[in-house]
Amino acid sequence: MVDKIRVQYAEELAQLEERALGGLDLVIASLDRALETVQHRDVELAELVIADDDRIDGRYLEVHQAILTLLATQAPVATDLRLISALLHVMKCMERMGDQCVNIAKLVPITGHDAPQEADMLDRIAKMGKQVRSQISQSKKAFAARDVELARDLVRQDDVVDALNKECFQIAVEVGDDHDIREWAMTMMLVARALERTGDNAVDIGEQVAFVVTGLFREFEDASHPVVP
Amino acid sequence: MPETGTEPRTTSGGPRSQATRLPDVNTQQKDKRGTHIERGAKRFELKDLNLFYGDFQAVQNISMTIEPNQVTALIGSSGCGKTTVLRSLNRMHELNPGARVEGHVLLDDTDIYSRDIDPVEVRRLVGMVFQAPNPFPTMSVYENAAAGLSLNRKGLTKSEKDEIVERSLRGAHLWDEVKDRLDKPGSGLSGGQQQRLCIARAIAVEPEVLLMDEPCSALDPVATLAIEDLIAELKGRYTIAIVTHNMQQAARASDVTAFLNLEESGKPGRLVEIGPTETIFTRPSEKATEDYVSGRFG
Repeated sequence: MVDKIRVQYAEELAQLEERALGGLDLVIASLDRALETVQHRDVELAELVIADDDRIDGRYLEVHQAILTLLATQAPVATDLRLISALLHVMKCMERMGDQCVNIAKLVPITGHDAPQEADMLDRIAKMGKQVRSQISQSKKAFAARDVELARDLVRQDDVVDALNKECFQIAVEVGDDHDIREWAMTMMLVARALERTGDNAVDIGEQVAFVVTGLFREFEDASHPVVP
Repeated sequence: MPETGTEPRTTSGGPRSQATRLPDVNTQQKDKRGTHIERGAKRFELKDLNLFYGDFQAVQNISMTIEPNQVTALIGSSGCGKTTVLRSLNRMHELNPGARVEGHVLLDDTDIYSRDIDPVEVRRLVGMVFQAPNPFPTMSVYENAAAGLSLNRKGLTKSEKDEIVERSLRGAHLWDEVKDRLDKPGSGLSGGQQQRLCIARAIAVEPEVLLMDEPCSALDPVATLAIEDLIAELKGRYTIAIVTHNMQQAARASDVTAFLNLEESGKPGRLVEIGPTETIFTRPSEKATEDYVSGRFG
């Protein structure tokens, strides 16, 4: 046996992971702003969220290119190969989450400045946003630490988001006959839907953690894959 | 004196006529003398194989199977005993002075190290292709392809020989390139062609197993891929075991990969892990395998 070799490659791979997971911080920043636009009907901030999505897309392209280069030049196998495969999924999830933030931001001008609001609905949206933010952060932490249990916990966390989403739906159904409030409530349903999808993306990242660690890909339990007693 | 399976045996130069049988040679074979390995035997089973060069133990306790119609790659760092294991499969290991073999190498159910098994017969059933293309330099392409026939199948007519030579050269994907210069020296071919000529020479005697010891290490990438294509085709008819230092070649060309390793320099090589190639290169069980296939350790 000789001393450790391929040091530069190992460093490149570590940097690649750092850049990829760093993309999730960009998503969190974008999500914070998107939620603020909803709470404060801030159209200018909404435009900033939309414009800033280029940074997330740029990170996606940057990491994607680096992955191609590593695949072409270093022929990674075993854990390295699984890591790279997982990072491709993580980047896709990151890019989709960024797009959901854009979707939320684009909905704000539709509601207008003067539309009536429903405090309960806004409260649920705020709670969902906080929960989803925490899930993104947890998915990043679980990936970096290769912590399968923490990753699996995301399923439990996501149940909270799903429950809040259903509550939003119920509020929208019962919001009353006024046209403007119904239109606002429908728009908020779309916001809730975007947040719910973002939460699912965080769970998907968790599944990639399990893949990197175990080499086996299995979807975590969810509505389509209930826990077998 | 009765011989046990675990007792060291010197195989080189031992008088075959006085040999006793090992216990696990099948009953059918025990009643006969002479030719013992069944025609069509294809599956190797190595049981507690220990190989020595004099006092030096090269490999220790290798137990594995090499299945028919699959390509089994042996990988591992230099000196871990891959080639030694390969050469033990057609009794070439014993050609080294002082070489010893312990344990069993079963070809189907027959131990090829049984003392009344003729090594020549083993080598006819188990062909070998070497690292550097080694066509006989003074022989023509035709004579090279037919070289094994004159040893193993005497009395063939010219037309029978022609047919076998053509079939072997076609089997080695070489016929179209050499059919108009069969009488030219084999050494005049390119490296890749020479290696395919050696494969043609090996398959001309209709073996069941082909052993390949780094068959592409002296070839350029295009010739390498041509040989790999050929290996993929040949596995439909033969059992193939290949030693390679090229990790990507093992990943591309083999169905099963066995990783051998040395605990430290001077110690014998051991089998660390064997499994489907896909598993070895995506999620190996052993850390030593992971480190080796990832190129983290040499």
